[in-house]
This record gives sequence, C-alpha cells and structure tokens, in this order.
Amino acid sequence: MKTIHAYWTCQILGWASYAGLGMWMAAQRVGWTTEVTVGYALYFLYSIALTHLLRRYVNQRGWVGASQYFRLFLAAWITGLVQAALVIGISWLIAGQRSTFLESSTAAPGAIGISCVTVGWMVVYLAVTSGRRYREKQLALREAELRGLEAQINPHFLFNSLNSIRGLVLENPPLAQDLITRLANILRYNLHRDAGHTVPLDSELEAAADYLALESARYEDRLRIRYAIDPATRPIAVPPMLLQMLVENAIKHGIAALPGGGELLVRSALEEGTLVLQVENTGQLAEEESGRPRLGLNNIRERLRILYAGRAGLELASHDGRVAATVRIPTRP
Amino acid sequence: MRALIVDDERLARAELARLLVMHPEIEIAGEARNGEEALELIARLVPDLVFLDIQMPGMTGFELLERLDDVPQVIFTTAYDQYAIHAFEVNALDYLLKPIAPNRLAAALAKLRPRPESSRLEQVFVRDGDRCWIVRLPDIFLLESEGNYTRLHFGGERPLIRRSLNALEEQLDPSLFFRAGRKEIINLKWIDKVDIGGSGGLTVTLRGGLTVEMSRRQSSRLREILSL
Repeated sequence: MKTIHAYWTCQILGWASYAGLGMWMAAQRVGWTTEVTVGYALYFLYSIALTHLLRRYVNQRGWVGASQYFRLFLAAWITGLVQAALVIGISWLIAGQRSTFLESSTAAPGAIGISCVTVGWMVVYLAVTSGRRYREKQLALREAELRGLEAQINPHFLFNSLNSIRGLVLENPPLAQDLITRLANILRYNLHRDAGHTVPLDSELEAAADYLALESARYEDRLRIRYAIDPATRPIAVPPMLLQMLVENAIKHGIAALPGGGELLVRSALEEGTLVLQVENTGQLAEEESGRPRLGLNNIRERLRILYAGRAGLELASHDGRVAATVRIPTRP
Repeated sequence: MRALIVDDERLARAELARLLVMHPEIEIAGEARNGEEALELIARLVPDLVFLDIQMPGMTGFELLERLDDVPQVIFTTAYDQYAIHAFEVNALDYLLKPIAPNRLAAALAKLRPRPESSRLEQVFVRDGDRCWIVRLPDIFLLESEGNYTRLHFGGERPLIRRSLNALEEQLDPSLFFRAGRKEIINLKWIDKVDIGGSGGLTVTLRGGLTVEMSRRQSSRLREILSL
C-alpha cells in the first residue's frame, strides 16, 4: 500500500511540476494563450494516464532487469511519440495554422524532446523500483536461508526412536505409550512451528525434554541427564531447534561414542543481560574435529549470525573429560 | 545356523531376538554390545551368521569386519545408513532397516548359504578408501604379494588387503589355489589357457586377461595338478 501511494505522489508531483514549468516558460515567450494553458493542462493529464498504462503493460509482461532494457526503453519511447502526437494534434485543434508546433522547424525537435522526457521517466522508474526489488530479493534470500537452517528432524533419531518403541511395546507398554506421545510432540513442534524465527526458551526446553526421553529409552543407563535451569530464562526468545541441536550434537559426538555412556547437563543462566545456554557432556573433542567444525554447530553459528548480527555466539570447549557447547544471546536490543 | 547379534542398544537386540523366534533354524549363540565384545564372541563361538549394527561406540561394524581373518556371513542392521551399505559392491549378504520388517528378515535369511564343511577361509573383508567388499574366496582369481600387503584381483577390482601373501596362503584351499611364484597365487578355476614359454616354464592366462609367468619348478608342479 505504501509503495502505491508513493507511486501516485511521484506521478502527480512529477508531471505537474514538469508541465507547470513548461507552461510558464511558454507563457514567457508567447503569453498566456489558450494553446499554452489548455495544451499544458491536457499534457499533464494524458502523460499521467499514458505512463501509468506503460507501467501496467511493462509489469504485466514481466519485463524486469538489465536483459529487458531494450524493450523497456523502446516501449517508453513509443509512449513518448504518442504524447508528442497528442501535443501537436491538440495544438492544431486549438490554434489551427497559428500553432507554434506546426512550424516545420519546431515540430521535429519538439516531438523528440517530448519522447525523451518519457524515456527519462522510465529511467527514474527503473532506478526507484530496482533498488526496492534488490532489497526484497535480499530479504527473501535471508528468509529462505533461515528456513533452511531451522533444521528438520534427524532421520537417524526418528528411525532409532521407532525401533526402541517397537521393542518396548511388549516389554514396557506404559513407557511405549509415553514415548509415542513424546515423539508426536516432537514431530508437531517440527511441523507446525509458527512463522516467527524465535520461540521462548521454555518451548525449547520442553521439546528437548521429549527428545532426551526418547534418547534415554534408546541408550538406557548409558545416558544420564541433569538440568540446571534458571526460571528467569524461560521466557527469553531463542531461535527454534537451538537447544535440540546442541543436545543432539552432545549425544552424537559425546555419549554415543562412549561404550560406557556418560552424563549430559543442560544449563541456563542470565549473566548481565545475556542468556547463557550450555549443554555439557562426558567426552573429549576428537583431534580431527577441532580443526573441522561440526555441521550442527555450524548451522547454529550461521543462524545466530543472521538473527543477531554478531552479538550472539557459540563456543565449544573441552576440559577434564567433558565437552561444553555454550551459546550466548543478548536479551536487550 | 548359529547367529551372533551385535548392537549397542539392548532394545534393538531384544527386538531382533524376538523376531528370530519365528525362524527356529537360527540359533542365537550370543549377543555383543560393542565391537570388542563381538571380536571375542566371534573367536569363541565361531558363528555362521552375524547380525551387525554399523554405528557403535568404540568400533564401527566396518572396523570390526576389518579385524576378522575369516568373515562369517553378515546381515547389516541399521536405522538409516543404507547409503553406507551401498558402498558394499560384492557379496554383503543383505541389510535390514530398523525397525525391522518380519518379511524383510525372512527374505534376508533365505539368502543364507549352508554351513561349509571345511574350516578353510570362506570370505574376507577388504576396504580401499571409501569402498569396501566382502569377497568370497572362489571369486578371487589372483593374489599378488606387495610387501606386507596382498593385492586381490576379483571382478573388475584389485584392492589391497592388509595381510601378507604367506599368511593368507596357510588358510587357502590347496585344491583351488596354487602358488605360481614367489609373489603370486592363482585360482585354478579361473585359468583360461596355459602356454609353454621359451625357457620351458609355463605362462598362465587367467580369464579376464591377466598373465602369470611361472618358474620351471612350479611349472612342472602345475603340469602334475592339471595332468597336462
């Protein structure tokens, strides 16, 4: 809506000032004759109408970008010639033989001048819209990038969970039922996330709890989970799937690689207006991995970069047989 | 048929054991929770068949196979690694995706070969970069010594196995494999033609076009065997 208002404002003001100036200059030369006043007033009206039709025609054809410049300017020039024909025709109707435009010395340059104005109109139009189109394209790209990074459910996890549940159906029916509900929650969380690019940490914690319950069924006593959550951090907005990806990473590279399993600690705290979210697991950073960053963590870094423009970050550190992934997100703009 | 189940998840092992109840011809000889346990149980129980998970802590299923001299028949069980299994170009018996469908299990078991009578080497596992094979010995037409390694020629492939030719020779069936020279062992079933060379030695051409020149001593032994 805003752009269409701006368009009409530009159209009316632009043509009014151009026709007004032309009228005043002509009046200086030949006086305020009917030919001058009516001629320029009509020029103002049909110029708006014709360039508006030109714009509609060009948009309908989808002529966009540098490859279409020839067609765009040809269309503008033809529109300009129609305007020139109208200028000359109307002058002749009003002033007859006395019309200034009928003198052979002024008719041709006049017509060329008029069509040049319309070509100029096209230049201005393209300059304004291409900037807008570029920004729209950048926004769409960023949007697509974020959507792509808000990862889908990991198929390994899905099929291993289904296999665990299948095993539990006979062995422990109540647990099997509980896990089916939790798996449904996770799938729903993945499929029906709202359009926004952040969610309250609380939802992330719930989803991660469901996720960890399923992984616990699979790893049994090899996975020991602890939480240390500061209640004040629950409403803070975070990127969706952030916590789950951290937890998934900790299990995949930490717990799953250890025959005896290990401990996983999920911690959240507020430190001077910054949310600190940490997932720590038993294990070590493998040699080759310290040089080659993990895919899941790279994804998180990329999303933090797009959403917080460098003010949020992710660190991976190892000490005393434990690996900790720490995300810091500013809570104040 | 005696089978070993190798999987790090108890539920996965229990579920497979339950499915195998429908197949009384398969006796579950043991269960292993990781590669180390599996190595020990394979050595002790000598199973005919191994159900093998690929992703396990400590040692993957592929790494386990690499450490076996003689490879039993293998059925892979995996949740989502079918791409990794497709790296197998030759002779993986089958793979099962978890959760395992009973009819897929039955189809995989139908491919089982009967238990061999001899204790000779049946098949070996070879890995070459990203590709790997379980190769049945009768499919190998030439074994070529390269230091402590041996190059196996089969199909259109010629990967190196991390074992010396002499170590392999002890486990080969002498009625099938013949020491043609210091560096070569040939599979007699794959001989295409035999030519007499200038110095009285034989030149053996294998199907597929590989040729091996033999010393006079080995040539006369080959003559005896082939009763030329």
